[in-house]
Amino acid sequence: MNRGLILDPSAKRIDDISDPGPDLESLAGKVIGFRVDELWRSWDWVSEVWSEMLERDGAIVRFWRARGRTGEVGAEVLRELEAFTKTLDAAVVGLANCGSCTSWTIHDALWAAKNDIPTVAVATDHFEQLAGNLARRGGRSGLRLHVLPYPLDIRQKAEVHDIARDHYRSFLRTLGVRDRLAIQSAA
Amino acid sequence: MTEGWGDGLPLIPPTEGRVRMHLSKSGRFPDEVIAVLLPLRTECTVEKIAINAVMAGAPAESMPLLIAAVEAMAESKFELQSLNATTGSVVPAIIVNGPIRHTLKIPFATGCLGGVAGPAPAIGRALRLLIRNVAGQVIDITSQSTYGTPGRVAGIVFGEWEEKSPWAPLGERLGVKGDAVTAYGAMGTANICDMIGNTADHFLQMIGKSLAYPGANGFLPSSQWSETLVAINPVWAEVIGKAYPNIEDVQQKIFDYAAIPIDFLDPAYREPIDRCGRLQADGRVHLIQKPEEVFVMVAGGMGGLHCAMLHSWGTCLTTTKPVRMPA
Repeated sequence: MNRGLILDPSAKRIDDISDPGPDLESLAGKVIGFRVDELWRSWDWVSEVWSEMLERDGAIVRFWRARGRTGEVGAEVLRELEAFTKTLDAAVVGLANCGSCTSWTIHDALWAAKNDIPTVAVATDHFEQLAGNLARRGGRSGLRLHVLPYPLDIRQKAEVHDIARDHYRSFLRTLGVRDRLAIQSAA
Repeated sequence: MTEGWGDGLPLIPPTEGRVRMHLSKSGRFPDEVIAVLLPLRTECTVEKIAINAVMAGAPAESMPLLIAAVEAMAESKFELQSLNATTGSVVPAIIVNGPIRHTLKIPFATGCLGGVAGPAPAIGRALRLLIRNVAGQVIDITSQSTYGTPGRVAGIVFGEWEEKSPWAPLGERLGVKGDAVTAYGAMGTANICDMIGNTADHFLQMIGKSLAYPGANGFLPSSQWSETLVAINPVWAEVIGKAYPNIEDVQQKIFDYAAIPIDFLDPAYREPIDRCGRLQADGRVHLIQKPEEVFVMVAGGMGGLHCAMLHSWGTCLTTTKPVRMPA
């Protein structure tokens, strides 16, 4: 049988940051920014619960809502994202709950993480693998991911609030909070 | 196949000799980077385009068109990263204008969206392999498309029947005269049939009202854009062109007709649509956000009766690039 050489049609990115980056360590006085979106009311509901609990535990919380990605709006959104992430001690970016919104979540999380601040991308269970794969392909496989149940957006508000409360401690651990707040059981 | 380089269909081995032939028709150096493709953020060189074109069976003469198509898809406003990741079924449709339609035998008449024996499916497949092998779109790894679409195998590559169009070619209207490719984020193709209408307004009304189905992405409050592509058959185009020689009037008519009354939807949908300013004073919601987002072209067979509508995904903006033939 004759054998011949064929050329590789693929391209690969080999650089990678596998380190999750700095831990937040403690909450007191830290500015934590939530990146929310125009897609998922459930993420609004989770982030409003988490923000109340973070403030109760001594953090300062800010919000920024992402919008369109293309055209003049897209350029403005990137400027806002840059300005927003510069003001933070930690970033919480969501929600990866569909294909395109996972790509935007990871994009914005990688943007925050390049500022060398603790950054957590939040995904629902079904989209965890996609989020991880996109983070790897974005050059940062170590990006912190916090995973919420799926499906989330078809649940009622009270149920989502309960989920948010149940996840708060593990979310703090994902963020790298190492004091008693992260290890005690949920209130 | 075992390397994951394929789509499941047989591939032509990209030997050095075959790839060299394709490179010779490109008029470019093999290591020239045409674009960085997302989500993998890898460099798509002329050589990678040639290798995948060989594997797909695309003719060497299509290299300039393939390069232009890659340039169009890689434009930041086309948002290739999210397009490749989405749960939606979007695929970049490639519309070809200019004399290259004839030299490359790109179909624009009968059966232009599928079924014509010619190089278009292989050209489309080459682009799909590039998206897989270089951009890195792989189902269940970087793509969560709930259904996908047949266009993700051999692409959607067709031309405009410029010679039958009463209006300027689509590419020219989008800024590029002559040989051009337009990349459009299509949610597949769907048919409109009218065997009763016999005036321009009948046809435009049928087209507009058919476009406005409630589940179209253009109605989503989260959709940044609502671009819509309509390929009108040459029989209808002649009738419409006589009544509306200015394409802007055709766009306006389709925009006006492509709307539904808000009461047609469950009340739960009213607030999100109203919040983003899409609910009009007359109680209607337009599928398309502004008339300029209606892209009209002429294509299809002389049998008439049918019109093709290609709804957009709603995030990417259509891009047009010139096809630069080697000197």
